[in-house]
Amino acid sequence: MSLTIPKTPAVLAALLKADYIVLWRNRRGNIMSVLMPLIIVFSWKGLIPQFGGAFVLANGITLGIIAIGLMGYANAVARDRDKGVFQRLRVSPLPLWTIMASRLVVQLSMILLLTIVVFVAGYQLDGILMPTAGYFVTFFVSLVGGALYLSLGQAIVGRIQSPETVNSTTRLIYLAFIMTGMLGQFDYFGVDFKRIVDWSPYGTVKTILAVSFEPAKWNLHATEALLLSIGYAIIFATLGIKWFKWGAK
Amino acid sequence: MGEVQQKNILQVEDLHVQYGQVQAVKNVSFYVEQGEIFGLLGPNGAGKTSTLSAIEGLIRQQSGTVTVAGYDTLKDSRHARAAMGVQLQSTSFQPELNVAEILELYAGIYGLSLNKQQLQALLNEINLSDAENKKFGQLSGGQQQRVSLAITTIHDPKLVLLDEPTSGLDPQSRRQLWSRIESIREKGNAVVLTTHSMEEAEAVCDRISIIDHGRIIATGTPQILIDKHRNDPDVIAVSRRGKITLEDVFIALTGSAIRA
Repeated sequence: MSLTIPKTPAVLAALLKADYIVLWRNRRGNIMSVLMPLIIVFSWKGLIPQFGGAFVLANGITLGIIAIGLMGYANAVARDRDKGVFQRLRVSPLPLWTIMASRLVVQLSMILLLTIVVFVAGYQLDGILMPTAGYFVTFFVSLVGGALYLSLGQAIVGRIQSPETVNSTTRLIYLAFIMTGMLGQFDYFGVDFKRIVDWSPYGTVKTILAVSFEPAKWNLHATEALLLSIGYAIIFATLGIKWFKWGAK
Repeated sequence: MGEVQQKNILQVEDLHVQYGQVQAVKNVSFYVEQGEIFGLLGPNGAGKTSTLSAIEGLIRQQSGTVTVAGYDTLKDSRHARAAMGVQLQSTSFQPELNVAEILELYAGIYGLSLNKQQLQALLNEINLSDAENKKFGQLSGGQQQRVSLAITTIHDPKLVLLDEPTSGLDPQSRRQLWSRIESIREKGNAVVLTTHSMEEAEAVCDRISIIDHGRIIATGTPQILIDKHRNDPDVIAVSRRGKITLEDVFIALTGSAIRA
Protein backbone atom coordinates (compact mmCIF):
# COMPACT_ATOMS: atom_id res chain seq x y z
CA MET A 1 0.00 0.00 0.00
CA SER A 2 1.51 3.34 -0.92
CA LEU A 3 0.58 6.32 1.15
CA THR A 4 1.07 9.98 0.36
CA ILE A 5 0.66 12.76 2.83
CA PRO A 6 -0.87 16.00 1.56
CA LYS A 7 1.47 18.83 0.63
CA THR A 8 1.61 21.66 3.16
CA PRO A 9 0.78 24.47 0.66
CA ALA A 10 -2.40 22.61 -0.37
CA VAL A 11 -3.38 22.13 3.27
CA LEU A 12 -2.70 25.78 4.04
CA ALA A 13 -4.75 26.87 1.02
CA ALA A 14 -7.73 24.81 2.20
CA LEU A 15 -7.49 26.23 5.72
CA LEU A 16 -7.10 29.80 4.45
CA LYS A 17 -10.14 29.46 2.20
CA ALA A 18 -12.25 28.25 5.13
CA ASP A 19 -10.92 30.92 7.49
CA TYR A 20 -11.57 33.72 4.96
CA ILE A 21 -15.14 32.42 4.56
CA VAL A 22 -15.52 32.56 8.36
CA LEU A 23 -14.13 36.12 8.35
CA TRP A 24 -16.62 37.14 5.65
CA ARG A 25 -19.58 35.53 7.46
CA ASN A 26 -18.59 37.45 10.62
CA ARG A 27 -18.52 40.75 8.76
CA ARG A 28 -20.91 42.47 11.20
CA GLY A 29 -18.49 41.83 14.05
CA ASN A 30 -15.59 42.99 11.90
CA ILE A 31 -17.40 46.20 11.02
CA MET A 32 -17.73 46.84 14.75
CA SER A 33 -13.91 46.46 15.06
CA VAL A 34 -13.46 49.16 12.43
CA LEU A 35 -16.15 51.41 13.88
CA MET A 36 -14.15 52.55 16.93
CA PRO A 37 -11.15 53.76 14.86
CA LEU A 38 -13.56 55.61 12.58
CA ILE A 39 -15.16 57.29 15.60
CA ILE A 40 -11.68 58.37 16.74
CA VAL A 41 -10.80 59.76 13.31
CA PHE A 42 -14.12 61.60 13.11
CA SER A 43 -14.33 62.94 16.67
CA TRP A 44 -10.67 63.92 17.11
CA LYS A 45 -10.66 66.27 14.15
CA GLY A 46 -10.26 69.18 16.58
CA LEU A 47 -6.98 67.73 17.90
CA ILE A 48 -5.25 67.75 14.52
CA PRO A 49 -3.95 71.36 14.72
CA GLN A 50 -2.37 70.63 18.14
CA PHE A 51 -1.11 67.03 17.76
CA GLY A 52 -1.06 66.47 13.99
CA GLY A 53 -2.90 64.13 11.63
CA ALA A 54 -0.49 61.24 12.22
CA PHE A 55 -1.35 61.27 15.94
CA VAL A 56 -5.08 60.90 15.24
CA LEU A 57 -4.64 58.18 12.61
CA ALA A 58 -2.15 56.28 14.82
CA ASN A 59 -4.56 56.22 17.76
CA GLY A 60 -7.39 55.02 15.50
CA ILE A 61 -5.31 52.23 13.97
CA THR A 62 -3.95 51.18 17.39
CA LEU A 63 -7.46 50.77 18.81
CA GLY A 64 -8.57 48.80 15.75
CA ILE A 65 -5.54 46.51 16.01
CA ILE A 66 -6.28 45.87 19.69
CA ALA A 67 -9.93 45.01 18.89
CA ILE A 68 -8.95 42.61 16.07
CA GLY A 69 -6.02 41.01 17.89
CA LEU A 70 -7.76 40.53 21.20
CA MET A 71 -11.47 40.20 20.57
CA GLY A 72 -11.38 38.87 17.02
CA TYR A 73 -8.59 36.30 17.26
CA ALA A 74 -8.62 35.23 20.92
CA ASN A 75 -12.38 34.81 21.16
CA ALA A 76 -12.61 32.81 17.92
CA VAL A 77 -9.81 30.47 19.03
CA ALA A 78 -11.39 30.01 22.48
CA ARG A 79 -14.79 29.22 20.94
CA ASP A 80 -13.43 26.73 18.40
CA ARG A 81 -11.30 24.99 21.00
CA ASP A 82 -14.32 24.66 23.29
CA LYS A 83 -16.43 23.19 20.47
CA GLY A 84 -13.77 20.64 19.50
CA VAL A 85 -12.99 22.18 16.08
CA PHE A 86 -9.24 21.87 16.67
CA GLN A 87 -9.46 18.26 17.86
CA ARG A 88 -11.20 17.35 14.59
CA LEU A 89 -8.43 19.05 12.62
CA ARG A 90 -5.69 17.47 14.73
CA VAL A 91 -6.65 13.91 13.75
CA SER A 92 -5.99 14.74 10.10
CA PRO A 93 -2.47 14.67 8.65
CA LEU A 94 -1.84 18.41 8.63
CA PRO A 95 1.13 20.06 10.34
CA LEU A 96 -0.33 21.64 13.48
CA TRP A 97 1.28 25.03 12.85
CA THR A 98 -0.81 25.46 9.70
CA ILE A 99 -4.01 25.71 11.79
CA MET A 100 -2.79 28.80 13.65
CA ALA A 101 -0.80 30.20 10.71
CA SER A 102 -3.96 30.31 8.62
CA ARG A 103 -5.89 32.15 11.33
CA LEU A 104 -3.07 34.62 11.92
CA VAL A 105 -2.77 35.40 8.19
CA VAL A 106 -6.50 36.08 8.04
CA GLN A 107 -6.36 38.40 11.05
CA LEU A 108 -3.31 40.22 9.66
CA SER A 109 -5.24 40.74 6.41
CA MET A 110 -8.04 42.23 8.46
CA ILE A 111 -5.53 44.56 10.14
CA LEU A 112 -4.24 45.72 6.74
CA LEU A 113 -7.82 46.33 5.63
CA LEU A 114 -8.46 48.33 8.80
CA THR A 115 -5.34 50.40 8.09
CA ILE A 116 -6.58 51.25 4.59
CA VAL A 117 -10.04 52.16 5.94
CA VAL A 118 -8.44 54.54 8.47
CA PHE A 119 -6.22 56.08 5.73
CA VAL A 120 -9.29 56.71 3.58
CA ALA A 121 -11.40 57.95 6.50
CA GLY A 122 -8.58 60.26 7.62
CA TYR A 123 -8.48 61.84 4.18
CA GLN A 124 -12.23 61.96 3.61
CA LEU A 125 -13.31 63.09 7.09
CA ASP A 126 -10.36 65.14 8.30
CA GLY A 127 -8.47 65.95 5.12
CA ILE A 128 -5.33 64.22 6.46
CA LEU A 129 -2.85 63.53 3.68
CA MET A 130 0.51 62.02 4.59
CA PRO A 131 3.64 61.43 2.43
CA THR A 132 3.24 58.41 0.11
CA ALA A 133 6.22 56.65 1.72
CA GLY A 134 4.51 57.10 5.08
CA TYR A 135 1.55 54.98 4.01
CA PHE A 136 3.85 52.13 2.97
CA VAL A 137 5.89 52.28 6.19
CA THR A 138 2.66 52.39 8.20
CA PHE A 139 1.50 49.20 6.46
CA PHE A 140 4.61 47.40 7.70
CA VAL A 141 4.38 48.92 11.18
CA SER A 142 0.70 48.01 11.51
CA LEU A 143 1.74 44.37 10.92
CA VAL A 144 4.21 44.68 13.82
CA GLY A 145 1.44 46.13 16.00
CA GLY A 146 -0.90 43.37 14.80
CA ALA A 147 1.67 40.73 15.72
CA LEU A 148 1.93 42.21 19.21
CA TYR A 149 -1.81 42.13 19.89
CA LEU A 150 -2.37 38.77 18.19
CA SER A 151 0.37 37.31 20.40
CA LEU A 152 -1.24 38.91 23.46
CA GLY A 153 -4.51 37.28 22.38
CA GLN A 154 -2.64 33.97 22.04
CA ALA A 155 -1.25 34.35 25.57
CA ILE A 156 -4.73 35.04 26.96
CA VAL A 157 -6.33 32.09 25.16
CA GLY A 158 -3.40 29.95 26.23
CA ARG A 159 -3.74 30.84 29.89
CA ILE A 160 -7.55 30.82 30.09
CA GLN A 161 -9.61 27.83 28.96
CA SER A 162 -13.21 29.01 29.25
CA PRO A 163 -14.45 30.99 26.21
CA GLU A 164 -16.67 33.12 28.43
CA THR A 165 -13.71 34.12 30.62
CA VAL A 166 -11.54 34.78 27.55
CA ASN A 167 -14.30 37.02 26.22
CA SER A 168 -14.64 39.02 29.43
CA THR A 169 -10.85 39.24 29.88
CA THR A 170 -10.23 40.57 26.37
CA ARG A 171 -13.03 43.15 26.79
CA LEU A 172 -11.55 44.24 30.10
CA ILE A 173 -8.08 44.62 28.59
CA TYR A 174 -9.51 46.49 25.59
CA LEU A 175 -11.31 48.89 27.93
CA ALA A 176 -8.19 49.27 30.07
CA PHE A 177 -6.10 50.15 27.01
CA ILE A 178 -8.68 52.69 25.85
CA MET A 179 -8.92 54.38 29.26
CA THR A 180 -5.27 54.35 30.29
CA GLY A 181 -3.69 54.48 26.85
CA MET A 182 -5.76 57.20 25.28
CA LEU A 183 -6.18 59.38 28.33
CA GLY A 184 -2.73 58.72 29.82
CA GLN A 185 -0.97 60.15 26.78
CA PHE A 186 -2.61 63.54 27.44
CA ASP A 187 -0.95 63.96 30.86
CA TYR A 188 -4.31 63.62 32.64
CA PHE A 189 -2.81 61.16 35.15
CA GLY A 190 0.59 62.78 35.63
CA VAL A 191 4.01 62.47 34.00
CA ASP A 192 4.93 59.14 35.58
CA PHE A 193 1.75 57.51 34.37
CA LYS A 194 2.29 58.98 30.91
CA ARG A 195 5.78 57.43 30.85
CA ILE A 196 4.32 54.03 31.75
CA VAL A 197 1.68 54.39 29.01
CA ASP A 198 4.36 55.42 26.49
CA TRP A 199 6.25 52.16 27.05
CA SER A 200 3.16 49.95 27.40
CA PRO A 201 2.01 47.82 24.43
CA TYR A 202 -0.50 50.59 23.67
CA GLY A 203 2.08 53.35 23.75
CA THR A 204 4.81 51.62 21.76
CA VAL A 205 2.43 50.67 18.95
CA LYS A 206 0.88 54.14 18.87
CA THR A 207 4.37 55.71 18.80
CA ILE A 208 5.70 53.65 15.89
CA LEU A 209 2.48 54.11 13.94
CA ALA A 210 2.52 57.90 14.45
CA VAL A 211 6.16 58.21 13.35
CA SER A 212 5.77 55.79 10.46
CA PHE A 213 3.40 58.21 8.71
CA GLU A 214 6.33 60.62 8.42
CA PRO A 215 9.41 58.38 7.93
CA ALA A 216 11.69 61.43 7.75
CA LYS A 217 10.95 62.09 11.42
CA TRP A 218 11.92 58.57 12.54
CA ASN A 219 14.05 58.93 15.71
CA LEU A 220 15.66 56.95 18.52
CA HIS A 221 12.45 56.94 20.55
CA ALA A 222 10.63 55.33 17.60
CA THR A 223 13.38 52.72 17.19
CA GLU A 224 13.18 51.87 20.90
CA ALA A 225 9.38 51.63 20.66
CA LEU A 226 9.70 49.36 17.61
CA LEU A 227 12.18 47.07 19.36
CA LEU A 228 10.02 46.98 22.47
CA SER A 229 6.93 46.15 20.39
CA ILE A 230 8.79 43.24 18.79
CA GLY A 231 9.99 42.19 22.26
CA TYR A 232 6.45 42.24 23.64
CA ALA A 233 5.27 40.18 20.66
CA ILE A 234 8.01 37.57 21.20
CA ILE A 235 7.30 37.29 24.94
CA PHE A 236 3.51 37.02 24.51
CA ALA A 237 3.86 34.54 21.64
CA THR A 238 6.29 32.36 23.61
CA LEU A 239 3.96 32.28 26.62
CA GLY A 240 0.91 31.78 24.40
CA ILE A 241 2.44 28.79 22.60
CA LYS A 242 3.77 27.31 25.86
CA TRP A 243 0.44 27.59 27.66
CA PHE A 244 -1.85 26.69 24.76
CA LYS A 245 -3.87 23.47 24.87
CA TRP A 246 -5.67 22.27 21.75
CA GLY A 247 -8.50 20.56 23.62
CA ALA A 248 -11.07 22.00 26.01
CA LYS A 249 -10.37 19.46 28.77
CA MET B 1 8.49 3.96 4.66
CA GLY B 2 7.08 3.89 1.12
CA GLU B 3 5.40 0.53 0.49
CA VAL B 4 3.91 -1.40 3.35
CA GLN B 5 2.42 -4.84 2.85
CA GLN B 6 0.75 -6.34 5.85
CA LYS B 7 -2.40 -8.01 7.04
CA ASN B 8 -2.75 -6.14 10.32
CA ILE B 9 -3.74 -2.59 9.56
CA LEU B 10 -3.66 -1.64 13.26
CA GLN B 11 -1.32 -3.08 15.86
CA VAL B 12 -1.50 -1.92 19.49
CA GLU B 13 1.10 -3.33 21.86
CA ASP B 14 1.42 -2.85 25.63
CA LEU B 15 -0.35 0.50 25.57
CA HIS B 16 -0.29 2.54 28.79
CA VAL B 17 -2.11 5.86 29.11
CA GLN B 18 -2.03 7.93 32.26
CA TYR B 19 -3.75 11.18 33.31
CA GLY B 20 -1.87 12.51 36.32
CA GLN B 21 -2.07 9.73 38.89
CA VAL B 22 -4.91 7.91 37.10
CA GLN B 23 -3.92 5.07 34.81
CA ALA B 24 -6.66 5.02 32.17
CA VAL B 25 -5.21 2.29 29.92
CA LYS B 26 -3.03 -0.53 31.21
CA ASN B 27 -1.07 -2.94 29.09
CA VAL B 28 -3.60 -3.00 26.25
CA SER B 29 -2.69 -5.01 23.16
CA PHE B 30 -4.82 -5.90 20.16
CA TYR B 31 -4.72 -5.93 16.38
CA VAL B 32 -7.17 -5.26 13.57
CA GLU B 33 -6.90 -6.91 10.19
CA GLN B 34 -7.72 -5.50 6.76
CA GLY B 35 -11.42 -5.81 5.98
CA GLU B 36 -12.38 -6.33 9.62
CA ILE B 37 -14.84 -4.50 11.87
CA PHE B 38 -13.48 -4.52 15.38
CA GLY B 39 -15.53 -3.39 18.38
CA LEU B 40 -14.14 -1.97 21.61
CA LEU B 41 -16.75 -2.42 24.32
CA GLY B 42 -16.70 -1.27 27.89
CA PRO B 43 -18.61 0.62 30.56
CA ASN B 44 -18.24 4.39 31.00
CA GLY B 45 -14.68 5.29 31.97
CA ALA B 46 -13.34 1.86 31.03
CA GLY B 47 -10.63 3.28 28.75
CA LYS B 48 -12.22 2.99 25.30
CA THR B 49 -11.90 6.64 24.30
CA SER B 50 -8.44 6.91 25.86
CA THR B 51 -7.32 3.94 23.78
CA LEU B 52 -8.76 5.50 20.63
CA SER B 53 -7.26 8.90 21.49
CA ALA B 54 -3.80 7.34 21.77
CA ILE B 55 -4.25 5.66 18.37
CA GLU B 56 -5.46 8.97 16.87
CA GLY B 57 -2.52 10.88 18.34
CA LEU B 58 -4.69 13.19 20.46
CA ILE B 59 -2.95 12.00 23.61
CA ARG B 60 0.54 10.60 24.06
CA GLN B 61 0.87 7.20 25.64
CA GLN B 62 3.26 6.67 28.56
CA SER B 63 4.53 3.49 26.93
CA GLY B 64 3.65 0.97 24.28
CA THR B 65 3.47 1.22 20.51
CA VAL B 66 0.71 1.83 18.01
CA THR B 67 1.24 1.22 14.32
CA VAL B 68 -1.26 2.08 11.61
CA ALA B 69 -0.63 0.59 8.18
CA GLY B 70 2.92 -0.07 9.37
CA TYR B 71 3.54 3.51 10.50
CA ASP B 72 4.37 4.19 14.13
CA THR B 73 1.91 6.84 15.38
CA LEU B 74 4.65 8.64 17.31
CA LYS B 75 7.56 8.36 14.87
CA ASP B 76 5.57 8.69 11.61
CA SER B 77 2.56 10.52 12.95
CA ARG B 78 1.57 12.29 9.72
CA HIS B 79 1.75 9.09 7.67
CA ALA B 80 -0.22 7.24 10.35
CA ARG B 81 -2.88 9.97 10.43
CA ALA B 82 -3.06 9.98 6.64
CA ALA B 83 -3.82 6.25 6.73
CA MET B 84 -6.75 6.62 9.11
CA GLY B 85 -10.08 8.38 9.16
CA VAL B 86 -11.41 9.45 12.54
CA GLN B 87 -14.89 10.24 13.77
CA LEU B 88 -14.70 11.67 17.26
CA GLN B 89 -17.40 11.20 19.89
CA SER B 90 -18.61 14.76 19.34
CA THR B 91 -17.66 16.40 16.07
CA SER B 92 -17.76 20.11 15.55
CA PHE B 93 -16.86 22.44 12.73
CA GLN B 94 -16.69 26.21 12.50
CA PRO B 95 -20.38 27.15 12.72
CA GLU B 96 -20.06 29.72 9.93
CA LEU B 97 -19.26 27.03 7.32
CA ASN B 98 -21.94 25.17 5.38
CA VAL B 99 -21.90 21.47 4.51
CA ALA B 100 -20.32 21.94 1.07
CA GLU B 101 -17.59 24.19 2.49
CA ILE B 102 -16.82 21.70 5.28
CA LEU B 103 -16.48 18.87 2.74
CA GLU B 104 -14.20 21.03 0.55
CA LEU B 105 -12.08 22.00 3.56
CA TYR B 106 -11.44 18.41 4.61
CA ALA B 107 -10.89 17.26 1.03
CA GLY B 108 -8.21 19.96 0.79
CA ILE B 109 -6.65 18.92 4.09
CA TYR B 110 -6.25 15.40 2.69
CA GLY B 111 -4.73 16.79 -0.52
CA LEU B 112 -7.84 16.20 -2.64
CA SER B 113 -9.75 18.74 -4.67
CA LEU B 114 -13.47 18.36 -5.24
CA ASN B 115 -14.99 19.83 -8.38
CA LYS B 116 -18.70 20.70 -8.51
CA GLN B 117 -19.70 17.28 -9.89
CA GLN B 118 -17.63 15.35 -7.34
CA LEU B 119 -19.05 17.44 -4.51
CA GLN B 120 -22.60 16.82 -5.72
CA ALA B 121 -21.89 13.09 -6.06
CA LEU B 122 -20.60 13.00 -2.49
CA LEU B 123 -23.66 14.86 -1.23
CA ASN B 124 -25.94 12.48 -3.18
CA GLU B 125 -24.12 9.51 -1.66
CA ILE B 126 -24.97 10.69 1.85
CA ASN B 127 -28.52 11.74 0.88
CA LEU B 128 -27.80 15.39 1.53
CA SER B 129 -27.96 16.80 -1.99
CA ASP B 130 -30.39 19.51 -0.89
CA ALA B 131 -28.38 20.45 2.23
CA GLU B 132 -25.15 21.72 0.72
CA ASN B 133 -25.84 25.29 1.83
CA LYS B 134 -27.02 24.36 5.32
CA LYS B 135 -24.82 24.95 8.33
CA PHE B 136 -23.74 21.81 10.23
CA GLY B 137 -25.70 22.95 13.30
CA GLN B 138 -28.91 23.11 11.25
CA LEU B 139 -28.77 19.39 10.38
CA SER B 140 -30.51 16.60 12.30
CA GLY B 141 -28.44 14.17 14.37
CA GLY B 142 -28.56 11.54 11.61
CA GLN B 143 -27.58 14.06 8.92
CA GLN B 144 -24.68 15.31 11.06
CA GLN B 145 -23.46 11.73 11.46
CA ARG B 146 -23.59 11.22 7.69
CA VAL B 147 -21.56 14.38 7.03
CA SER B 148 -19.11 13.39 9.73
CA LEU B 149 -18.69 9.89 8.29
CA ALA B 150 -18.30 11.31 4.77
CA ILE B 151 -15.41 13.48 6.03
CA THR B 152 -13.93 10.55 7.93
CA THR B 153 -13.83 8.44 4.76
CA ILE B 154 -13.25 11.19 2.19
CA HIS B 155 -9.67 9.99 1.52
CA ASP B 156 -10.60 6.28 1.50
CA PRO B 157 -8.54 5.48 4.62
CA LYS B 158 -7.28 1.99 5.33
CA LEU B 159 -8.41 2.30 8.95
CA VAL B 160 -11.58 4.04 10.16
CA LEU B 161 -11.96 4.85 13.87
CA LEU B 162 -15.50 5.56 15.08
CA ASP B 163 -16.09 6.62 18.68
CA GLU B 164 -19.69 5.74 19.63
CA PRO B 165 -20.95 6.53 16.12
CA THR B 166 -24.62 5.61 16.68
CA SER B 167 -25.02 7.33 20.04
CA GLY B 168 -28.27 9.32 20.02
CA LEU B 169 -29.45 8.11 16.60
CA ASP B 170 -32.95 6.79 15.84
CA PRO B 171 -33.22 3.13 14.70
CA GLN B 172 -33.50 4.09 11.01
CA SER B 173 -30.39 6.26 11.10
CA ARG B 174 -28.55 3.61 13.10
CA ARG B 175 -29.34 0.88 10.58
CA GLN B 176 -28.28 3.15 7.74
CA LEU B 177 -24.99 3.84 9.51
CA TRP B 178 -24.41 0.12 10.03
CA SER B 179 -24.78 -0.36 6.26
CA ARG B 180 -22.23 2.38 5.64
CA ILE B 181 -19.82 0.80 8.12
CA GLU B 182 -20.24 -2.56 6.38
CA SER B 183 -19.58 -0.95 3.02
CA ILE B 184 -16.22 0.28 4.37
CA ARG B 185 -15.37 -3.35 5.18
CA GLU B 186 -16.48 -4.47 1.72
CA LYS B 187 -13.84 -2.17 0.22
CA GLY B 188 -11.21 -4.04 2.23
CA ASN B 189 -10.69 -1.29 4.78
CA ALA B 190 -10.79 -1.86 8.54
CA VAL B 191 -13.05 -0.26 11.14
CA VAL B 192 -12.58 0.12 14.87
CA LEU B 193 -15.66 1.30 16.73
CA THR B 194 -16.52 1.84 20.34
CA THR B 195 -20.08 1.31 21.45
CA HIS B 196 -22.30 0.75 24.46
CA SER B 197 -24.79 -1.17 22.32
CA MET B 198 -24.37 -4.94 22.49
CA GLU B 199 -26.94 -5.21 19.69
CA GLU B 200 -24.66 -3.08 17.53
CA ALA B 201 -21.59 -5.11 18.42
CA GLU B 202 -23.37 -8.36 17.56
CA ALA B 203 -24.83 -6.93 14.36
CA VAL B 204 -21.74 -5.41 12.75
CA CYS B 205 -18.53 -6.44 14.54
CA ASP B 206 -16.42 -9.35 13.32
CA ARG B 207 -14.46 -9.36 16.56
CA ILE B 208 -14.73 -7.47 19.81
CA SER B 209 -12.63 -6.73 22.87
CA ILE B 210 -14.22 -5.96 26.22
CA ILE B 211 -12.22 -3.40 28.16
CA ASP B 212 -12.70 -2.54 31.83
CA HIS B 213 -10.63 -0.51 34.30
CA GLY B 214 -8.17 0.11 31.47
CA ARG B 215 -7.52 -3.57 30.73
CA ILE B 216 -8.79 -5.85 27.99
CA ILE B 217 -10.60 -8.69 29.74
CA ALA B 218 -11.96 -10.64 26.77
CA THR B 219 -11.47 -10.79 23.01
CA GLY B 220 -13.15 -12.83 20.30
CA THR B 221 -16.07 -12.93 17.92
CA PRO B 222 -19.39 -12.11 19.61
CA GLN B 223 -20.53 -15.73 19.18
CA ILE B 224 -17.28 -17.19 20.54
CA LEU B 225 -17.52 -14.98 23.64
CA ILE B 226 -21.14 -16.04 24.20
CA ASP B 227 -20.26 -19.72 23.75
CA LYS B 228 -17.20 -19.46 25.96
CA HIS B 229 -19.09 -17.92 28.88
CA ARG B 230 -22.46 -19.61 28.34
CA ASN B 231 -22.11 -21.83 31.39
CA ASP B 232 -20.49 -19.33 33.77
CA PRO B 233 -22.65 -18.99 36.89
CA ASP B 234 -22.28 -15.19 36.81
CA VAL B 235 -23.55 -15.09 33.23
CA ILE B 236 -26.50 -17.36 33.97
CA ALA B 237 -27.32 -15.25 37.04
CA VAL B 238 -27.62 -12.02 35.03
CA SER B 239 -29.43 -13.63 32.09
CA ARG B 240 -32.98 -12.30 31.84
CA ARG B 241 -34.73 -14.41 29.23
CA GLY B 242 -33.12 -17.80 29.46
CA LYS B 243 -31.18 -17.17 26.24
CA ILE B 244 -27.58 -16.04 26.85
CA THR B 245 -26.76 -12.80 25.00
CA LEU B 246 -23.59 -10.77 24.53
CA GLU B 247 -25.00 -8.26 27.01
CA ASP B 248 -25.26 -10.99 29.65
CA VAL B 249 -21.60 -11.88 29.09
CA PHE B 250 -20.65 -8.19 29.18
CA ILE B 251 -22.52 -7.54 32.46
CA ALA B 252 -21.09 -10.66 34.06
CA LEU B 253 -17.52 -9.70 33.09
CA THR B 254 -17.71 -6.00 33.97
CA GLY B 255 -20.15 -6.11 36.89
CA SER B 256 -23.62 -4.65 37.46
CA ALA B 257 -22.51 -1.50 39.26
CA ILE B 258 -23.38 1.73 37.47
CA ARG B 259 -20.28 3.66 36.33
CA ALA B 260 -19.92 7.41 36.31
